[in-house]
Amino acid sequence: MAYLLIVDDDEDFAAAAAKALSHAGHEVGIRLETGSAVSSMERRRPDLLILDVMFPEDASAGFELARRIRHDCEHLKGLPILMLTAVNVKFPLGFGLDTIDDTWMPVDDFVEKPVDLDVLNSRVSALLSAKV
Amino acid sequence: MGMARIDVAPTAVYELPLVRAAASAPGLPAVGPSLPASLLLKNALWFCRLRWIVVAILGTLGVLGLVPGACSRLGLLPVYDWPLVAAGVLALGNLGFSAATHLLKGSTARRARLNLWAQVAFDLAVLTGVVHFAGSLETNVAFAYLFHIVLACIFLSRGESLAVTLIACVLYTLCVAAEGAGLLAPQTIYAGAPVREGLGPAPWAFVWNLALALGIWLAVWYLTTHLTDTVRRRDRELAETNRRLEAALDERSKHMLRTTHELKAPFAAIHATTQVLLSGQCGPLPDEAAAFIGRISTRCRRLASEIQDMVQLANLRSESQGSLPRADLDVAEIVRWCIAQIQPLAEERRVVFANDIRDAWTTGVEDHVKMLFANVIGNAVTYSRAGGTVRVQSEPSGPSGAVVVVEDEGIGIPAAKLPHIFEEYYRTDEAVRHNTQSSGLGLAIVRHVAQAHGIRVRVESRLGVGTRFQIGLPPRGGPGVSSARNKETDDGLPVDC
Repeated sequence: MAYLLIVDDDEDFAAAAAKALSHAGHEVGIRLETGSAVSSMERRRPDLLILDVMFPEDASAGFELARRIRHDCEHLKGLPILMLTAVNVKFPLGFGLDTIDDTWMPVDDFVEKPVDLDVLNSRVSALLSAKV
Repeated sequence: MGMARIDVAPTAVYELPLVRAAASAPGLPAVGPSLPASLLLKNALWFCRLRWIVVAILGTLGVLGLVPGACSRLGLLPVYDWPLVAAGVLALGNLGFSAATHLLKGSTARRARLNLWAQVAFDLAVLTGVVHFAGSLETNVAFAYLFHIVLACIFLSRGESLAVTLIACVLYTLCVAAEGAGLLAPQTIYAGAPVREGLGPAPWAFVWNLALALGIWLAVWYLTTHLTDTVRRRDRELAETNRRLEAALDERSKHMLRTTHELKAPFAAIHATTQVLLSGQCGPLPDEAAAFIGRISTRCRRLASEIQDMVQLANLRSESQGSLPRADLDVAEIVRWCIAQIQPLAEERRVVFANDIRDAWTTGVEDHVKMLFANVIGNAVTYSRAGGTVRVQSEPSGPSGAVVVVEDEGIGIPAAKLPHIFEEYYRTDEAVRHNTQSSGLGLAIVRHVAQAHGIRVRVESRLGVGTRFQIGLPPRGGPGVSSARNKETDDGLPVDC
């Protein structure tokens, strides 16, 4: 069992994803904005972060948080990050797996919403296994 | 009795401004002397190159003066002293100015202007000497001051160019007045031409001659500065318009991104919630309830996909694609990228790819060309039957750039319906029966991209047998080719349109 933290401003999606991941045997926490996410992770380091990209106050807050974790937070540096967004990889403004890099988009995997919860579960398992 | 002190946060006040804040002051920008340092230095070097021509003319005149009989054959007096001295002074000055200008590269605009001003002052001083020796009123050489006046009008501010004009007027007037007062002996380079003696017998003609020259210079200054101001104002208007267009494009891109997110996110939440219910994690559901929730889930996915396509199509329709940066594109790489994106769908539908992808190049907007291939290849997979094969080939195609063929063994399209497949929301009955999830916008997107890029799309199909798309891409190196650019906005989000 792992402790997962979902950081997503969409409470309904976060609740559904948390339910499915809990059912798979994980302990899941939810934060609805990136500001409280850092303090939450400092109190208890999750095994995996599931992070949305766009937040109401900042369209790239998810990226910013990922960069902060990778480059500024010493004890969170190795934390696996699974990024979620409703912006499609096909969209001209979008991004995809090939966009992941350590400076611009420092995450471990990327999933597009709407996501099948089975797919989400399998991606989470893969990242947790890779970590081990 | 003491009172408890309560810390109260200060009241924050904000009043909505009646006008939208602009990045720069509205209205026409003021016309000012704000040529950038790089341009001023470029002009300073150009001055230096022009000055070598004057050095050559004066040097030639001096050499001719040393050759016996050469000047007299041209109707000139055999002078060599002042032309050679003037050529030497100009040459030495020019070497110094060239070196100084090169050293100033990367310097401030103020230093570049000082360099220009030093060159102008030096030239005017030397020119006044040349004007005196060549004949200030006996020849038209004084009109050489006009070169400096016109150049100052173009490269310096209105005030500075007026200062150059007045300096030229003062120097010329001093020269002529000194000659008139007998302080300097009037000169000429024309053989046999009369030379004044002081003010001579017609002093008013002398004064009018001088006044006419000064009047012409001032008129030239006024006309040139007027024209220059007009050109500069238009230049700034164009720059401002361009800046606003770029800002509008950026704003629209961010708006599109936000709109897509805001429209799709609720469906993602509904979709996830229905999956939780369907999985039985909240308790068993009656079969009929599960069936209805399944419909909700399916409809959510379809709506999310439709929103995606609608926003893409609106994006393609609303923008002037000619204004987007086009780059040389590796067709093979793009096709491979699209196949990789569609691979999960192919696996889900048990469709296999048979690829023969060779290097080929074209020119276009990368994301749009990707959209075109993603839709064509995605359709081939979607409308294939389980166990079917989709063949994707790409190769160079002589002068026509590249050709990509996408061929499936799917349901095919009836001949009568082929002309309609690129229409928005058009779907054949066969396609609807095979797949209920499509928005009917994919091939409309293909049409928009193809028409904007000059891409030829040929479709062959046999009902029940399969469909073949042949896509002919234009050659590499078309107009508006630009190198790859940073795909990031101020927000750190990727933007390419």
